[in-house]
Formats: sequence, structure tokens, C-alpha cells
Amino acid sequence: MEEIRIERISKDFDGFVAVNDVSLTIGSGELFSFLGPSGCGKTTLLRMIAGFESPSNGRILIGNTDITDIAPYNRQVNTIFQNYSLFPHMTVFDNVAFGLRIRKTPKSEIKDRVGEMLALVKMEDQAAKYPDQLSGGMKQRIAIARALINKPKVLLLDEPLAALDLKLRQHMLIELMNIHDAVGITFIYVTHDQSEAMSISDRVAVMNYGSIVQAGPPDDIYERPNSIFSAYFIGETNLITGEVTGIEDDYLQLKCPDGAEGFFEIDSTFHFQPTVGKQLTVSLRPEKIALSRSKPRYQDDINMLRGTIEDILYLGSHTQYIVRVGALKFRVFSQHKRVYFDEKALDWEEQVWLFWHDTDTWLIDEIPDSSLGNKEQPDTGVNHFQRSAKRLTQV
Amino acid sequence: MKRISSTKLYQGLNLTSFSLVMVFLYIPILILVIFSFNNAKIITGWKGFTLKYYAQLWDNDNIKQAFWNTMLIAGLSTLFSTVFGILTALGLENKKFSGRRLISGLIYIPLVIPDILMGVSLALLFNFTRVNTGMFTVLIAHITFCISYTVIVINSRLEGFDYSLVEAAMDLGAKPATIFWKVKLPLMLPGIIAAALLAFTLSIDDFIITFFTSGRGFDTLPIYVEGTIRRGTITTINSLSTLMIGFTLFLVIITKRIRKILISSL
Amino acid sequence: MSKTYKHFQSERDVISQAAEKRRNLASWALTAPALIWLIIFFLIPYLIVVIYSFLTPDIYDVKFELSLDAYRQAFNPDYLMTLFQSFRLAILTTVLCLLLGFPVAYFIARAKDKTKNTLLVFIIIPFWTNLIIRIFSWRIFLAYNGVLNDMLINIGLISQPLEIMRTDLAVILVMVYVYLPYMILPLYSVLEKMDFTLLHAAMDLGANEIKAFFRITLPLSMEGIFAGSLLVFIPALGAYLIPQLVGNQKTLYLGQVITYKIKNIPRNWPMASALSLTLLFFVAILLVLLFTLYKRSKSRRIT
Repeated sequence: MEEIRIERISKDFDGFVAVNDVSLTIGSGELFSFLGPSGCGKTTLLRMIAGFESPSNGRILIGNTDITDIAPYNRQVNTIFQNYSLFPHMTVFDNVAFGLRIRKTPKSEIKDRVGEMLALVKMEDQAAKYPDQLSGGMKQRIAIARALINKPKVLLLDEPLAALDLKLRQHMLIELMNIHDAVGITFIYVTHDQSEAMSISDRVAVMNYGSIVQAGPPDDIYERPNSIFSAYFIGETNLITGEVTGIEDDYLQLKCPDGAEGFFEIDSTFHFQPTVGKQLTVSLRPEKIALSRSKPRYQDDINMLRGTIEDILYLGSHTQYIVRVGALKFRVFSQHKRVYFDEKALDWEEQVWLFWHDTDTWLIDEIPDSSLGNKEQPDTGVNHFQRSAKRLTQV
Repeated sequence: MKRISSTKLYQGLNLTSFSLVMVFLYIPILILVIFSFNNAKIITGWKGFTLKYYAQLWDNDNIKQAFWNTMLIAGLSTLFSTVFGILTALGLENKKFSGRRLISGLIYIPLVIPDILMGVSLALLFNFTRVNTGMFTVLIAHITFCISYTVIVINSRLEGFDYSLVEAAMDLGAKPATIFWKVKLPLMLPGIIAAALLAFTLSIDDFIITFFTSGRGFDTLPIYVEGTIRRGTITTINSLSTLMIGFTLFLVIITKRIRKILISSL
Repeated sequence: MSKTYKHFQSERDVISQAAEKRRNLASWALTAPALIWLIIFFLIPYLIVVIYSFLTPDIYDVKFELSLDAYRQAFNPDYLMTLFQSFRLAILTTVLCLLLGFPVAYFIARAKDKTKNTLLVFIIIPFWTNLIIRIFSWRIFLAYNGVLNDMLINIGLISQPLEIMRTDLAVILVMVYVYLPYMILPLYSVLEKMDFTLLHAAMDLGANEIKAFFRITLPLSMEGIFAGSLLVFIPALGAYLIPQLVGNQKTLYLGQVITYKIKNIPRNWPMASALSLTLLFFVAILLVLLFTLYKRSKSRRIT
């Protein structure tokens, strides 16, 4: 078991930089995800590891072997393709046996190993079928078996669940994690779906414009985003910009314009040394904001805003409120607690208090500009929020 | 409820025209088949069942010769045009190929020019070069008009080809040569078979180009049949035609799978 | 931070320049056999046709003496009449095939998936049956003492046999018969892809069947109409065998005249060449016209 080292890899397509000077080490046996909008370079990076593209610069090593110039058919790396790419003219058995036959494995061994693999993906009884007789989920399993039978050092998965429906996707995610546990090799997973990446990965690398924006465990990126891009690409958030007006021990004050010539103050803890007068952005996750009709008594007027409810989206497990403060709009997720049943539910145009704790905000040393992020995002949820985030911060 | 009734009328109209067209398409053929068993020298009413014209057919050496000529030409032109078709389609697969327009032009133009012009031009070529017309010139002509069809059919198959299958094979350890024989060619095969079948049928079917390029003494079946019809001795033609229709049906039935591809490639 | 993504779609097939050159060379090598073949046996023969059209006829051959006689003759009223006849026949055949073929294609396209294929086979069987046999079967059917006349007399509709064989009517009938599948198949392939819920939408918005047909179905099947018309019109323009076998010698068509000039003695190959080139010229004009029309109708649909 060896780690994968990506050293200063770049890929240039006729002047377009798809991957820009990426360095990264992926530990042996890790389930590592590349996450980013389409066009961020994650697929190119994966294809370079597989050997379908050769990098313009840099090198890739598995253990101590430099594989940069090794042809794809000589690499101990296998890929699960987005559309599975099962050979339509071969049975399930022949598909899975393909790699072994290429390596001139004895017949009896092929039979045993294909059987084992089909058992691993729970497809023992489908060996004689052709790919077009299988459902999407089944094809997926066969693709996994076909790759794993070659005992690769690394398994690459290129948006493997994109073609499946939601229920099946959730099921296959768990299945993939189980297979990962069973075979113990490194999995590199590429996706644009943040919830997929968050739930499956040991570590995630958030990519944008060919570079890695942030890499780390999912909860780390969620709770402690290092940039505006990370903050809004993983989960949803409210981004508020303001000027540092004071620093006291372990927290600071920000003076934030509300877009309607008014100002409000935010108190926040910090994790880097700010200076007074500097413009900073605060990321405030929607689920951390509480709403109340009456003024909260124990808040000392800190991190407490008065707003008007503009939109209510009932989503079953929680309700999403859009609350207007000045000209800014805050997104708030509110869990349904049993106590609130006795209370009259919040209504449109109602005046409410928003409040949160000063450890709930996270400071980002960056201010959003109008061209923030990648405009070609396919993920509608994020896209939608991106728009509102921009509205929120255009002051 | 006027709407429902008029929709029904609309559908009824389509069904009626479909049935009429079916009658139109099949009545003459059906009559031909029936009359091939008619015990009469000329085409008049039913005079009783006979197989004697099939026997005459069997004894007619000219017909047998024409049959073998047809098969030889069809077989050889299918072989050549299919090989050309495979190679050309593989060459055209490269989207950045600098000769793409030239070759596509040469492939497509023959299809939009009346057959007779190809016949005339080849006749003049063979006259100009003083080549004796015969089997060899007919073969050349047939290969020439079949190439366009084989290239187009195989090419359309390749266009739908999922390149990620090649990558998948590569990923699983197959080298380029193995990929060609184990993945690419098998996936092209339905297209190749469809192309070959099309070329074969076109070759058997052709009259006009053969008419211009065959010399005396080299008759294919269509040429022989046309001559016989003109001379008026048609009784054996009935039975010959019935056999040829049977052959067509046979082709259509045994190629059930290929048929689907033919439909999609047309 | 702003970068363009215009090359992104080519990401998959980008290869280094040297490899690209190698692939280009490989493509030339692969296409060379067909290319050389078509140059020798398709392009050069047409050059010879052009050359021959300026030569002087001989009884069995040509004399290599320059002359414009062939063109002079080709444009005399007799031959212009032939050209006109051919065009009339081709147009009539195309229109009739379209009128007859459209409802059939529509019917098949709207049939259930399983029946679809069976119905298509019924269209295709005559299509794959030998041309000359199909023509021959009509001779039997239409002959003076043939089956049709027998039937009509037996029913009592007529007392004297009809003279259909060897008339222009017979030519049209057989032309439509032979070329109908060429019209139905492309029409079908377009109609089959059409989203028929559009018709329901149109009716929902107040269009009746006829309006829905002219506003929705017809514009959406333009592609098939063009393709089918091309497949019928062009061979019909050069038809030889059908007029020869079921027509009379009073109305001659271009295909027949060209063939006579080549096959019959005294031969007149320059004349055949000139007539061939005239035919080619009209086909070329027609193609250009049709493609402009097609492109316009397509661009109109998009905007």
C-alpha cells in the first residue's frame, strides 16, 4: 500500500489552463474526493492519474514509482466511468473477466476470481446477462467489479452516481463505503455534488479554476472554510461583509452596512489576527441563526438583528425562512421543535428577531467581488444561493 | 364531442391509406408469385397448377450462368466495397483529418446523382481506355457505386461509438491492437454487416449501371431478365422472379437483428 | 480569476501536435484506397464525359474532332421536350409519393413500438425486392389480357379491357410504386422522433386537427420531406427502365434518349454526353436550391 503524490501538476489545453499547479498527497487506503463545479479541473486531474491525459507539467507518483509517462494500460490504476462504459457486446462475466484475460490469466483462476468479485458486489446471479439488460445500479456494480478484479492500487471514480436517481444514489454511497472498507485500497472520487463528497469522504479537496481551494476532512471544510468559495460551495451560508471596528481578547466587532444606509454590528471570534479598519467577511450558516418573536433576554443586544420575514419554505424536516434586514436577506433554517406547536407559526411580513452566538460565525479574510466563484455551476441549490449570497453582500 | 369524432376520422384516414398502400405494394408481387405456378404460356386466367416453369428454369443454362455471374459480382463487390468502407470510416473518425471534406464530398456526391450518369460516364471511360467490357468492368462499376453506401453505413455506426469504451479497455490493461480486435471491431460489426448486406442487395438489384458496363456475353440476372422481357418469352421469368422474391424474404427474415440497424441507418 | 472556458469541451480529445500529425497521416492512409478508387472511377469518367460532349459522333465510336454539334442538338425543341417530360414525370412522382407516403409514415410512426417494426418490414420487403421484378409484376398486372382487366371484366365494371400498359399512366403508376419506400422511410424516421404531445398541446391551445397538422406536424417533418423528395426526385429524373418496360415510345424520357444514343447504332456519344451534362446541371441547380431552402427553413425554426 503506497500513497499517491501529485507534484506540481498542470494541464494546459490550447491555452486554457484546466489544472493549475496542483500538489497533493493522498494517503494509502484513503477515500479522497475532488469536489468542484464543472470545469474546475477535477475530471482532468482524475484523467491524468488514470493516464488518459498527460500533464503539461509536474509528475504523479504512486509510492516511489513515477507513473507520469506510463501508458494507461500499464498503470495499476482502474477507473469507474461516469456512464459505466460496460462493453455492450460482452456478458457481465466477460466484462468482469476482461482485465484478467488481457493478462492471460488461467481459465480456472478467472472463473474463481470473477465469482468472488460478483459476490462482493452482490451480482452472482447476473453473470450471463448483457449490460443492456441491467438497471443503472446493477451496471454500476459490474463496473466496480470489473475495475477491482485487477487489484489496482487506486480506484478512480468519475462522478459514478451522477446517472442514478436520488434513492439509489444514497444506497450506492453506503455500498461504495462498504466496498472501500472491504478492499482497503485508495479510492479517488470526483463529484460536483457536495453532499455526496461530504458523506463518503475521509478528505475532500474543493477545487475551482484548476486549483485546490481547500483540502481537509468534510466537517473541517464546513465549519472552517478558508475562503468564500469553500464557504458557499459546501453547504449554504450567509455571507456578511463589514469593517473591523474593535478587537477585544478573543473576539472582534464588525460594523456592517445593511444596504439601506443603516449599519449593524456583529461580534465574532476569530482565528487569524485581524487589524482595525480591515474589511472582512463573516460566514454564518443558516441553521445557526435562531428566530424569535420576542426579544431574547440573555443576548445583551449582541449579534441580534431585527428583520422582516419575506419568504417561508416548509421543507418537512425544517423550514427555511428568508428574513430581510435593511436591504440584506438572511437565510435561516429552523428545525421544528415540539414546543413551537403551541405557538402560532411565524407568518409572512412578520417582524422577528434574529440572533446567534459569537462562536457561530466564521471569519474569512476575503471580501466577495462581483465575479466571485465559477458561474457555470450545475448545482441548482448552490447556484440559487450564490445569487442570494451576492445580493446579500452587494453593498 | 365533435373533437373525438374528427380525431377518429383522422386516424381512420391514416389506417385507410396505409392499407391501400399495402395493397398497392403487394398485389402485383402476389399475382406474379401465383402466376408462376400457372399452367399457361401467356398471362391469361388461371389454367391449373404446374411446376414446369421451375423445371425449365433449372434446365436453362443461360439463367444459371446469369445467376452465378450475379452472385460473383455481388460477392466480390461486397467484399471490396466493405473493406474500403471500413478503412474509410476509420479514417474519417478523426474529426481533424485534413482530407475530410474532400473524401466526404466524393462519398456523398454519387448518391445525389442519377444512376444513369454513373453508367454513362463509366461506359465512356471504358471506351476511352479501350478496355474490353465484361465481368471485370461490371465489377469495377459495382464497387464504385457500393463504396458510398458502405462508408456511410459504417461511418454512422462509428459516429455513435462511445469513445469511453476504448478508454475503459485501456484502463483495464488492453493495448491499442487488442482494443481494436476485442472492442472496436466487435462493436462495429453490426454496422459492417449492415453495410455488406446493403452492398450485396444493391449489386444484385442494379440494372442500369451494369447495362452500360457489361459487354456481350456477360449477363447478370437483371440484364438477362430485361432482355427476356423485351423478347417476350416471359414464362420462366415468373418463376425466376418468385425465387428471387423468396430470396429477398429469406434475407429479411434471417437478418432480423441486422434489420434493426438497417432501419436506424437509413 | 476570470478565465474562459471555450476550450473545455475539447478536453477529451486533445492530443499533442505530433500525435495529431500522425493521426492525420493515418487517416490519409486509411482513406487512400477509396479516395484513389473514386478519383479514377468516379471523377475521371465525368471528365471524359465533358471531353466527349465536344467531339464528333461516329457510327460505332467517336471521332476526335472538336464540335459543338452535340450541344446544338441537345437544345433543339425535340430534346427540350424530352427534358420537360422527364421533369414532369419526376415532379409528379415526387408529389404523389409524398401524398401517399406521408399518411403511411405517420401511421407507422404512431403505431405501438412492437407493431412499428413489423409494419416497417412490410414497407422494406418491396424495397429490397429486385427492381426489375417489381416492374415486371406490373406488366403482368396491367397487361391488356392481364389480371386487372380480367378482374374488372368479371366484376362487370368494364366490358372491354383497358389499355393501361404502355401508357404514361402506367409509367407514373410504376414510378410511384417503385419509389414510394424511398419517401416513406425518411419521413418515418423524422415522424418517429417527433414529440406527439406537441399536437395535444396545440389542440389544447385551440388548434383543430387540420391547423395542428399544418402548424406543428408539417413544419417539424420538413427534414424528412426534403430527404424523401430528394431520394425520389433524383433517380426519377434519370429513369430509364420503367418508361422502357411499361411506357410507350411516343413519350420518351431523358434516360431513354441517353441510353439509345449510347447503345443503339448509329451511336452518338457526344450527344449522350451533352444530354448527361444537361441532366447533371439541372440536378446540381436543384440540389443547391433545395439546400438553400432547407437551410432557410431550419434557421427560421431556430430563431
